[in-house]
Amino acid sequence: MAASDKNPIHKTIGNKIWGLFGSLKFTLFILFSLALFSIIGTFIQQNQPPAFYTMAYGKWASLILRLGLEDMYHARWFSTLLIFLIANIVVCTIDRFPPKWKTTLESRVDVDARFIKNLLNNHTIILNDEPVFARERILNVLRSKRYKIKEANNAEGMSIYAWKGMIGRFGSDVVHVSLLLILAGVIIGSIVGFKDFGAFYEGEVTTIPVTEFQFGIDSSWYGIPLPKIQRHKKASDIQLRLDKFWIDYYETGQIKQYNSLLTVSDNGKEVIKGKQIWVNAPLHYKGLTFYQSSYGMAYDKVKQAEFVLKNSKSGKAITPLFTADWNTPSDISGTDYMIKVVGFVSDFAFDPATKAIFPKSAEHNNPAINVEIYKAGKLVSRPWLFYNYADLFAAIPDSNYELVFQRYQGIVYTGLSINNDPGTTVVWAGAVLMVVGFFMAFFIFHKKIWINVKRNGNETEVYVGGMINKNKFIFERELSEIAESIKSDISGGMRK
Amino acid sequence: MKVIMSLLFFDMAFWFYLATMILYIGYWIIKKEWLGQASTVLAIISTFAIFMMLIFRTKESGHAPFSNLYESMSFFVCIMSVAYLIIEFRYKIKVVGAFVMSIAFIAMLATSMLPYRFQDIQPLNPALQSIWFELHVFSAFIGYAGFGLALGMAVMYLIKARFEESKTSHFLVDRLPPSAILDELSYKSVAWGFIFFTMGALILGAVWANKAWGTYWSWDPKETWSLITWFVYAAYLHARVTRGWRGKKAAYVAIFGFLSTVFLYWGVSFVLPGLHTYASQ
Repeated sequence: MAASDKNPIHKTIGNKIWGLFGSLKFTLFILFSLALFSIIGTFIQQNQPPAFYTMAYGKWASLILRLGLEDMYHARWFSTLLIFLIANIVVCTIDRFPPKWKTTLESRVDVDARFIKNLLNNHTIILNDEPVFARERILNVLRSKRYKIKEANNAEGMSIYAWKGMIGRFGSDVVHVSLLLILAGVIIGSIVGFKDFGAFYEGEVTTIPVTEFQFGIDSSWYGIPLPKIQRHKKASDIQLRLDKFWIDYYETGQIKQYNSLLTVSDNGKEVIKGKQIWVNAPLHYKGLTFYQSSYGMAYDKVKQAEFVLKNSKSGKAITPLFTADWNTPSDISGTDYMIKVVGFVSDFAFDPATKAIFPKSAEHNNPAINVEIYKAGKLVSRPWLFYNYADLFAAIPDSNYELVFQRYQGIVYTGLSINNDPGTTVVWAGAVLMVVGFFMAFFIFHKKIWINVKRNGNETEVYVGGMINKNKFIFERELSEIAESIKSDISGGMRK
Repeated sequence: MKVIMSLLFFDMAFWFYLATMILYIGYWIIKKEWLGQASTVLAIISTFAIFMMLIFRTKESGHAPFSNLYESMSFFVCIMSVAYLIIEFRYKIKVVGAFVMSIAFIAMLATSMLPYRFQDIQPLNPALQSIWFELHVFSAFIGYAGFGLALGMAVMYLIKARFEESKTSHFLVDRLPPSAILDELSYKSVAWGFIFFTMGALILGAVWANKAWGTYWSWDPKETWSLITWFVYAAYLHARVTRGWRGKKAAYVAIFGFLSTVFLYWGVSFVLPGLHTYASQ
């Protein structure tokens, strides 16, 4: 289309952009681009620290980082492609839907023989009947095939227009709308949804934090007020208690299932008691969903520890293995000492600057326990004992005793993902709509049949022709069948 | 002796498919009616054999027969064969079988060459124990089968269309259905495939992921590749109605789509790391 001189320049450019977004070639371009960039995203490992890319890609690393290829699916231009896709769908729908609606709904009824003969599929039938009988017969055939029918009389005879499956025409529109709905659900989720993770110990009660959001105004960008979403975490009234965590095994020893037994209180009142969850079976409460996500051993706590007291000279055990519970003083039998377990780290590390002891990782690589030793009720020492290195430090000063940290019983925690995503419902609604749209588009065909009946001397000429939007070959057969039954219908007169 | 029955039926199916492929190709070359009938009978027997393999596998493992590559490939072959037989009965075009049964046999060959650890029966890990997982895979594989059929149709279309355009003739090409029919069948296969693929791979997969991990989408390589495949077939459906793209270019898109499907199915398992890697189980 050439730009008219009368159109101001901005209008011409506007038309061109509109034309671009309304074109199917642009759709193909977007789809192929999305595919291509997604492919790149699967070959470049995503969301790694910058050092990883320097190691793996050398001088290309800076390019990868600059283009955002390390976080492909959140990169600005990936979003841009998605926005183009949305614009493409919207513009195409605005351009195409109204005329489609019109031509689908309002079709010509009164057509002549020439119109029918120009259709791809057409048949000419000569009958000996009066047109009135022919009409009756045609209508019967069409009705038996569940066609909807309109009629018109003209000077030469009459026309019949029959159609079915009109709704199939709009399948593609339903799919497009469903896609927008899904994307809307994703956006809702990214704005108001949140995801948390928590480690829960057996018997412990934890208050669940929720994320709140507020809409505000941000004017930091050239003073232009833009909407801004502020999120902040706050404690909710909901408390969760882990009653039990356990693992089921197959006979072969492979893990069958992870299970947690949960109790939920709201405002101090127990609302869900002892509900078992496992992978694939989460717990729902007030928009929050709790998923079984992982498990592990506490890195800063133990349930109890076991020790042996030895003679530091002979190395002989003085006491049998004895147990000390977490944070509970207990007597060391046969001596006047008492022991209390006060600290634990799963992977011992020491920071000389702050003199702080901390777990280097959550793995139980170098477990160490902190105990307090009392003699006659008085604290005499507070040593760290190592599981892997017995006898590293003297635990009890001024004595012949040597305290050995033999075993410990860790505390198992269950790792739960806590989710709130109101967008999910919208996504599922879109998904259902999409499937409905596909069925409409692929399996309901818009069939249109025109029949012209004309008296010619003693005979009645019947012209039958039709059109379908897809599935031509099936329709060819159906139209032949219709023509055949009009010809051979026994309710009418003789066959020629 | 439990495992033996499914392996036995697999081996039987393997040889049946080889014979079926040879017969269909033979029919294509020498076009004898009795050969065509024999092909169809053998195709039914092959399909039945692979179906029995799946039944026994389900009995032996106690779960739906698509928890590893070996089982899911057999399932793919079974679905594609059933779909092909339906097309054969509806459209009465047997020459297509030469292409489709070749794809089926290649799939059987690839499956039979899998290392033993992929053929073994494995108990289901916690994440796989879900009805959503079963529906997800079931529906996705109907999609794969549709795409496999579309590949056969698209290849035939390209051959046929080339000869029709240049008005040249070759007895093998002349026996293929007209290109318009091949185009229509290719479209129909993609349509069926696309609907089940969308439902299975994307939607039910998302439902399952949401149940298991609390996220319906996490851009892991398998998910991303299903989306890529979805983009390509979406492009095919649009190309068919775009001026300058319908016909040959659209057929190439369908072929490209199947390559993407193969990568989604095999490539992701062996080349890329992720949640779904059958190979790492």
